[in-house]
Amino acid sequence: MSKNTKVVGHDAVRIDMEEKITGAALYTDDLPFGPNLLHMSVLASPHAHAEILNIDTSEAEKFPGVMAVATGKDYPQKFGLYLQDKSILPVDRVRYVGEQVAVVIARTKEIADEGCKLIKVDYKILEPILDVRDALKEDAVLIHPDLGDYQVIPWINPQPGTNISHIRKIRKGDVEKGFEEADFILEDEYHVPHVVHACIETHISVARYDYTKRLTMWNSTQSPHTQRHIMANALGIPHKDIRIIAPYVGGGFGGKAGISMEALTVACQKVPGYPVKLRWSRKEEFLNSSQRQELRATVKMGVTKEGKITALRHIMHWDVGASAEYGNNVVNATGFSATGPYYIPNVSIDSVGVYTNHPPCAAYRGFGYSEFHFGIESHMDRIAKAIGIDPVEFRRINAIKTDDEVAYKCHMNPSGMLECIDKVAQAIEWGKEEVSDDPDIVIAKGFASAWKAPAMPPNAGSSVFIKFSEDGSINVLVSGMEIGQGLHTAVAKFASEILTVPLNKIRVELPDTDRNPYEWQTVASHETWELGNATIRAARDARAKIFDVVSRAFHLEKESLYLEDGKVKDDLDPDFALPFEDFVITGIQTEFNTWVGGPIMGIGSFIPEFTNAMVDPDTGMGGHPNVHYTVGAGAVKIELNKKTGVVRVVKMAEGFDCGKAINPDLVKDQIVGGFIQGLGTALYEVCIFDDKGKMLNTNFTDYKIPTILEMPDEMIPIIVEVPQPDGPFGARGMSEHTMIPVMPAVANAIANAIGLRIKDIPLTAEKVALRPLQKDFVAEK
Amino acid sequence: MVREIEFTLNGYHQKVSVKPGEKLLDVLRDKLGITSAKYGCGKGECGACTVNLDGKTVRSCLMYAVEADGSVIETLEGFQRLGKKEIQEIYQKHNAFQCGFCAPGFILSTDELLSQNPDPDEEEIKEALAGNLCRCTGYKNIFSAVKEMVEIRKGRES
Amino acid sequence: MLNFDYRRPESLDEALSLRKEWGGKSSLLMGGTDLFLAIEEEVRRPELLIDLKKIRALSGLEEKDGAVHIGAAVTYSELIHSDLVHQKLPGIWESSRLVASVGIRNSATMVGNICNAVPSAESATPLMIRDAVIHITSASGSRSVPAVEFFTGPRRTVVKDDEIVTSISVPLMKGKFGESYVKLGRYRGEDIAQVATAVLVDENWNYRIAYGAVGPVPMGIPGAEAVLKGKKPAADLIEKAKSEVLNTVSPIGDIRASKEYRLHMCAVMFEKAIDAAVSRMETGAPAYGARLI
Ligand SMILES: Cc1cc2nc3c(=O)[nH]c(=O)nc-3n(C[C@H](O)[C@H](O)[C@H](O)COP(=O)(O)OP(=O)(O)OC[C@H]3O[C@@H](n4cnc5c(N)ncnc54)[C@H](O)[C@@H]3O)c2cc1C
Ligand code: FES
Ligand code: FES
Repeated sequence: MSKNTKVVGHDAVRIDMEEKITGAALYTDDLPFGPNLLHMSVLASPHAHAEILNIDTSEAEKFPGVMAVATGKDYPQKFGLYLQDKSILPVDRVRYVGEQVAVVIARTKEIADEGCKLIKVDYKILEPILDVRDALKEDAVLIHPDLGDYQVIPWINPQPGTNISHIRKIRKGDVEKGFEEADFILEDEYHVPHVVHACIETHISVARYDYTKRLTMWNSTQSPHTQRHIMANALGIPHKDIRIIAPYVGGGFGGKAGISMEALTVACQKVPGYPVKLRWSRKEEFLNSSQRQELRATVKMGVTKEGKITALRHIMHWDVGASAEYGNNVVNATGFSATGPYYIPNVSIDSVGVYTNHPPCAAYRGFGYSEFHFGIESHMDRIAKAIGIDPVEFRRINAIKTDDEVAYKCHMNPSGMLECIDKVAQAIEWGKEEVSDDPDIVIAKGFASAWKAPAMPPNAGSSVFIKFSEDGSINVLVSGMEIGQGLHTAVAKFASEILTVPLNKIRVELPDTDRNPYEWQTVASHETWELGNATIRAARDARAKIFDVVSRAFHLEKESLYLEDGKVKDDLDPDFALPFEDFVITGIQTEFNTWVGGPIMGIGSFIPEFTNAMVDPDTGMGGHPNVHYTVGAGAVKIELNKKTGVVRVVKMAEGFDCGKAINPDLVKDQIVGGFIQGLGTALYEVCIFDDKGKMLNTNFTDYKIPTILEMPDEMIPIIVEVPQPDGPFGARGMSEHTMIPVMPAVANAIANAIGLRIKDIPLTAEKVALRPLQKDFVAEK
Repeated sequence: MVREIEFTLNGYHQKVSVKPGEKLLDVLRDKLGITSAKYGCGKGECGACTVNLDGKTVRSCLMYAVEADGSVIETLEGFQRLGKKEIQEIYQKHNAFQCGFCAPGFILSTDELLSQNPDPDEEEIKEALAGNLCRCTGYKNIFSAVKEMVEIRKGRES
Repeated sequence: MLNFDYRRPESLDEALSLRKEWGGKSSLLMGGTDLFLAIEEEVRRPELLIDLKKIRALSGLEEKDGAVHIGAAVTYSELIHSDLVHQKLPGIWESSRLVASVGIRNSATMVGNICNAVPSAESATPLMIRDAVIHITSASGSRSVPAVEFFTGPRRTVVKDDEIVTSISVPLMKGKFGESYVKLGRYRGEDIAQVATAVLVDENWNYRIAYGAVGPVPMGIPGAEAVLKGKKPAADLIEKAKSEVLNTVSPIGDIRASKEYRLHMCAVMFEKAIDAAVSRMETGAPAYGARLI
């Protein structure tokens, strides 16, 4: 299909770039709402775990300028996407520091803040649970005593009477036998802490409820339709009466997937007619949007002396925080995939979501894969060294290949794992030793492979409208969100390629649930694939309608018509060339002066029709939970200062098999951006909590995200293209993936440099400097 | 305690009433329709709220509007009229941004750098942009775009 | 709610009389990069903000009578772009470049930095080792306080509620000398120092050594200075001086760094700082501003 493409596969300026560099791109906070705009402030819980005995809002309500106050009494219903364990406002219990307890709507933000200070809450403080190991104890206090009553979708398995929000088990082959066959077995634990997305734009929502009972929201979101659906169910408002408008988003990374603080602005129902704005402060963003789950993993892997992996047991305990809801799908998705990109005959995986009194956790770029790859890919290096095989070679030996059986016994899609490994190894000059002039500096390299599948319900759908204008230009209406990943440029290219309209005559419109067609959510790196397929269908639909009208008007064979340069042409008649602007709106005048045709529109929708989430809960077998995997590899070269412990990544190479790079330039940008985001989580980023569960570093002074000064001197993004048979022009997603190899690659480089194996993220200078000085330090060989 | 302050904003004279506690960022956004200066952290840590005040970039989230009385302020909105389009165009050519939220801050910091130092080396470029956080891009294209701007300027001078 | 009045006097006298009138109910505003957040977080609740930025008399940066005088309104960007500072106060120049980033340095002042007086204040140690003097004025008179005596506790200085710091003077060095300022941050980007080491050495092998962020106030290390005095540093001397450092500093562990790592880095940075200062005196290299760790 990708023969001789004109725009697909070629570089282009992003279609949203001009708007973004001129300031024309408007984000939610930039929209004008007029003098009626009210502001909301949120009273946050100071306690990680407490019963709410009483809330007295009377003083706040009397404060001049306060228009309304809402508490859990107003919103007793629970909500959520996969498991309804979230409250709009909690009724009887708070479960994390920063949880919303009440909201105040007022004329100004200052008045709303003052109003919050006037609310009196009586709490009975409960002991917080801040460690999954405590939460799993037999006698642990239950964070959700009513877990058994919550609504849940069929393939999520909460365990009422425990703090377990979901378990996904895989039992493939016979692991005990696999370990018996092994010549070498390594078992160890790995820890990846909570981190945050740290989008530069914080969450923001503006909502207006009017006297016709219509709720309109302007949200910075990856999920307008899903939000509408959740809201409709929670509030009992028909879907048609909820309208969600999603302007540009200043970074998502999963943090703006599903619904979080947007649920609060529905309290605008108390002040019909007024738009009400809530924008998280940076501190609120840290505490009360969502974080990435903390992972405690135990990996046991057996190998033969030839380097074949015989068995893997992988137990993952995920700290999902105070509510799991969306996070349960992280637990689920990683349960199916925690082998890493390897063929392993005998596999046992337990992926367990565990409630704690940390902030709620949910999707974060990589959807749990970054976290478990840290353990798996650290293990791969350790085992390779122990059995005397080069770590890259060891990965090659076990790399998953097309048609291999994955952990849930479906077959691997076409993929270029070996090509990724080889190209990355070559780019990083694997095996070439380098020595620094500075005696304090050790230069070393580290390698890691990665894979990831989109994690989504089996029937997640995408749809597209394409409409023409008089001049032959196109507006493509989608509800896939442009969150920076370049989706709209890809959509424009698909439309352009098929309809032969140049990119500068195509606009892709941001979502508005009233006007744009349905999209499940912009998550999972599924959009280029799924929305791309829908776009292609819509473009073909438009093309079919064009051929239909032209063939009817000019009595031509449909089969001989084709499109070129925005014109309809005819194989049989080289002189025939009908520009779109001549007919796409007006239709075509016949020899009888009547008209045929009319405004041309294309419609396309797509769901994967082969997936099935209903697996056996005890074995994970029997379904087809994932549409496909994208594979890749990454490597770093570091300069490690033995005295200060500072690790500097000076060079990186990452390669991913995206099937077909729709925009090679943007694929490379995803690799670079994801790498640097991964670098932050590898070296610096961590949410630090005190022993009462309060997060201490809720600002960028103490939560460090990389600056331009952390950028490696050399970055080599590599594109591998083994086409995805059901992908648009062969494409599959690759955006999240680019973050995944970074933590283990850097950890492996540190081990290669000084023999220090760090099993707990982040890989700080402090650990690198001090641990080798400890008496019991044993260097890894 | 409301008082009237005056300044030049993107070449236009402006008068606005503010209380002493009002932040410059909020006044620009809410009273003067400037949307390019963004809220990112409110603590001077991210650079999203960058504006140019009397020839230098400042954090508008970390200033009271009254402090700007009598000054000359430039924001991204004024760029094209003030003849600074080239920086934008080269950033555009390099696909320098993804979500774009940080872009105004970077563009203003770049403008300041190039007006103070026509021939910055790589370290100086990075140093000038180190206070602007971007979560999406990994900075690579931002960096290469600025290097090209420097080259173009040098070419023009020689 | 933020409820304060704001004045922007154009003369020092006017500022001093406001200061006299309002005393502890007033706060002095320079770049505001510390004060703004203190007000925001309600650590400070002034009734009057006295903005000193537009007072001409505070904006001087000049060499006079054997010292460099830095007016209270001089920003870090001005210091960094000053050849005078680069040549005559290279340690101060080096440390100023490590404060925050351009957009902060364009507003932030050195006087604001030391008046804010956090233990990690970037300018404290480089001023201390150069025997800088802080000039303080009130409606009733002026006084000058050596930098070493200026800090009285975390966020506390000798400045009284009716006073204003007008300038800092840094005596010029006679003869050859070398300086260094080493800052420990969690990465190369903006950070607050977890340890700061400032060293001065002159051609007679007199040393001045100061540490920041490892005690309630920035501190000189006279013990180490004494060990090294009169001598070119040799390995055994360095070791001895280093243990003086470690006996003097009293770092805490916090979310930025553990106590152990701070101590470890006190030692590592000591060597780097001495090395750089001596080598700069003798050879001119590494250049000021080069990364030392
Ligand atoms: C994002 C960010 C990064 C930072 N990074 C660093 C860093 O790397 N290193 C570092 O050391 N600091 C850092 N700081 C802190 C701050 O920028 C510096 O301390 C700065 O030098 C303060 O100067 P200012 O002019 O802004 O002071 P202001 O905030 O105006 O004043 C600070 C204090 O001094 C008092 N004061 C001001 N002028 C006078 C005067 N003339 N007489 C008496 N008292 C006076 C004020 O009342 C106030 O208490 C950072 C701050 C931010 C926001
Ligand atoms: S919003 Fe001003 S620096 Fe972040
Ligand atoms: S492009 Fe998203 S923050 Fe820079």
